[in-house]
Amino acid sequence: MRGDGTVRRLLGRAFALLTLLILGAGLAEMVTVLIQQRVVHQLSTHVQPLQIANAHLRGVLADAQRSLRGYLLSGDGQLLDGYHVARSEYALAVVDVQDLATAQERAVVTEQVTNAGQWWELAERQRQAPPRSQAAAEYVAEGKPLFQAFAAANQDLDQSLAARAAALQNRSSRLGWLTVTTVGALTVIATAMAVATARGADRWITAPLGRLVEVLDRQRAGDHAARADPGDGPLEIRAVADAVNVRADEVDRARAADQVVARQRSEVRELGYRIRGHLVVEDAIREAVHGLAGTLGADHVLIRMVSTGVPPAVSLHDEHLAGGPLEDLAACDITWLRSGDVWATDDPAPAGDVRPTEQERRAWRAVGDGPVLTVAVSGGEECIGALTLMRDGGPAWTPVETRLAEVVAADLGRGVHHARLYEHEQHLVVRLQELDTAKTDFMSTVSHELRTPLTSISGYLELMLDAEAGELSDPQRRMLEVISRNTRRLRELIEDMLILSKIESGAFRISKRDAELAGLIDTALTAIEPVAAKASVGLHTEVTGPLSLRADPEQIDRVLINLLSNAVKFTPAEGTVTVRAHPDGDELVLMVADTGIGIPTAEQEALFARFFRASNAIHQAIPGTGLGLAIVRTIIDNHGGTITVDSTERVGTTVTVRLPIG
Amino acid sequence: MTVVLVADDDADIRDLVSFKLEQAGLEVIPVEDGQAALEQARARQPTLAVLDVSMPGLSGIDVCRMLRADPATAGMLIIMLTARVQEQDVEGGFSAGADDYVTKPFSPRELVSRIQALLSRTRA
Repeated sequence: MRGDGTVRRLLGRAFALLTLLILGAGLAEMVTVLIQQRVVHQLSTHVQPLQIANAHLRGVLADAQRSLRGYLLSGDGQLLDGYHVARSEYALAVVDVQDLATAQERAVVTEQVTNAGQWWELAERQRQAPPRSQAAAEYVAEGKPLFQAFAAANQDLDQSLAARAAALQNRSSRLGWLTVTTVGALTVIATAMAVATARGADRWITAPLGRLVEVLDRQRAGDHAARADPGDGPLEIRAVADAVNVRADEVDRARAADQVVARQRSEVRELGYRIRGHLVVEDAIREAVHGLAGTLGADHVLIRMVSTGVPPAVSLHDEHLAGGPLEDLAACDITWLRSGDVWATDDPAPAGDVRPTEQERRAWRAVGDGPVLTVAVSGGEECIGALTLMRDGGPAWTPVETRLAEVVAADLGRGVHHARLYEHEQHLVVRLQELDTAKTDFMSTVSHELRTPLTSISGYLELMLDAEAGELSDPQRRMLEVISRNTRRLRELIEDMLILSKIESGAFRISKRDAELAGLIDTALTAIEPVAAKASVGLHTEVTGPLSLRADPEQIDRVLINLLSNAVKFTPAEGTVTVRAHPDGDELVLMVADTGIGIPTAEQEALFARFFRASNAIHQAIPGTGLGLAIVRTIIDNHGGTITVDSTERVGTTVTVRLPIG
Repeated sequence: MTVVLVADDDADIRDLVSFKLEQAGLEVIPVEDGQAALEQARARQPTLAVLDVSMPGLSGIDVCRMLRADPATAGMLIIMLTARVQEQDVEGGFSAGADDYVTKPFSPRELVSRIQALLSRTRA
């Protein structure tokens, strides 16, 4: 692993090398092209033209020699013309050769031209010699070496030129091969370099990056302990890995802090439940004190309550008070706090103008110079206490802790409020129970105490009316009968009151058992029959179907008796009372209909109220206690049934009772 | 002559019952509390006793129970007078051994007819 490398250096080196190789290849190619161009140029513009010119020169001179020799040997003038043509061409050919010759060839060319000039000199003399003569033959013989000397020089030049052309071509060819080889080698090296760079980049850059990405993925997937290797890869990736780790550490710290806050929140919530669960004010306060010390890490917790009935101050441990460090603070009054107030030392965002008293500040300083937090405990709109948290040192109260303390204070306020309500309610319940008992006792006593004098009154009345104490005059008898009637009425009133009181107080528990309504109706009709007969009221029944139900037969009997006696009582002579009963779904319907005086519409609502008596009944002096229907209504309610009244004045009244079968 | 013990702490009722019973031809021993009722019952051995349930000291039910427990008085006829309509009073009276009971306020006529019914039933 190349630990000290950076991506920039690594890639820089690799690309610089590649660039150099490519440049080298290009340069080699270019040099080769230039050199080959020069070779071609030399061949095409100098060597080859010179070869051609040289060959032409030799050809011209050869033509001249051949023509002259032919003329001399044959005398053919036509051949001499050929000689002249060649001679005129020769001058041009010599110029061509000389023009093309470079310093290198000049010596050979000069030699050649000199040799040629010697031959031409002899040739001019030959030409003038008679053809086919001895002289001519001698000239030919003499001219031959001269021509051969020229031809040799010419051939020398030609060979030299051919050698040069071959050398040039050879060089060009060699250079071509060299270039191909060089460029090929460079290409191979460059390719290898590129592959190596790619592999290196993959190994040094991509792989560490991949591992980094993997770490990030793991962190994202919830593996908070995952960390990047800070020594992995080049400098830049190591820097990124470091940054990733730093960030992960920060996230960890933030998460840890969040967890602390979440734990505190949950503890505070639990504490709130516990505080509000207490039914005794003092227990709620003690719960708050101990819970706060643990949850928020307070060294001193003091709760001061302004209300009476609870200890004025409760602290974390009793040694804090009465001679302890919080003694002075516990004695400070808290009127400087209003409902909802919060005061903390170094509060970054103080709410409102909460100003602790000088006395209070002195008391804090006496405890220590740690941070102080005081929250008002509110009961409804008023401040009923103060919750003070102190640390002997250490960090100031954070906004979160302040908020949590407020939550606890609110719970405490509610808890105290609830506990007070509960205590109050307990008092009320006890009082109500006492009242209820007193009422029952009273009713029982009244009933008993009233019965005894009533016994004397009605007993002696009976004796007098029976003339046991002597005969009575008619006015005396009428008067005694009035007394007797009212005595009876008084007795009924006492009975009904007692019954109603008992039913309402629950002394008459409903004892439900299987009952048969039809039988109860028969019994009640039998009981009421004498009264009805006396009042000349006809009794009718329309009872259908099975009428079994779960009910208290004695109470249902009372309902029937009360309804029937009412119906008979309020029905004038020759009227009728009809009892109807039938099942209807899971209910039994019982109707008692009369053709009586009815109840005025305006008074029907009050019908079931105690001591209610219809105005028309009072006017007609029909006796009654006004408790009968109240008793009926209570019994029906106790059975889960309903009762309704449908009445028209001077036409009649129908009372409908619906009782559940079950 | 048939002797009847009448025990009631209320003098008016005691007089009322006594008067009505004497009118019916019975000999009456009126007493005003349970203790006296017990003593007179043992001393005079009446045929029948009319006992008020609620009397100071020994109640009518106590007296009834004691009379029934004593072989000398166990066969005596006993009618209870009760001012209470509570079932437990009535049941208490019967469980103590009363032969009948009459609820206050009662009709003197009805009381006499109940007493005569009881007497005739035992004689028969």
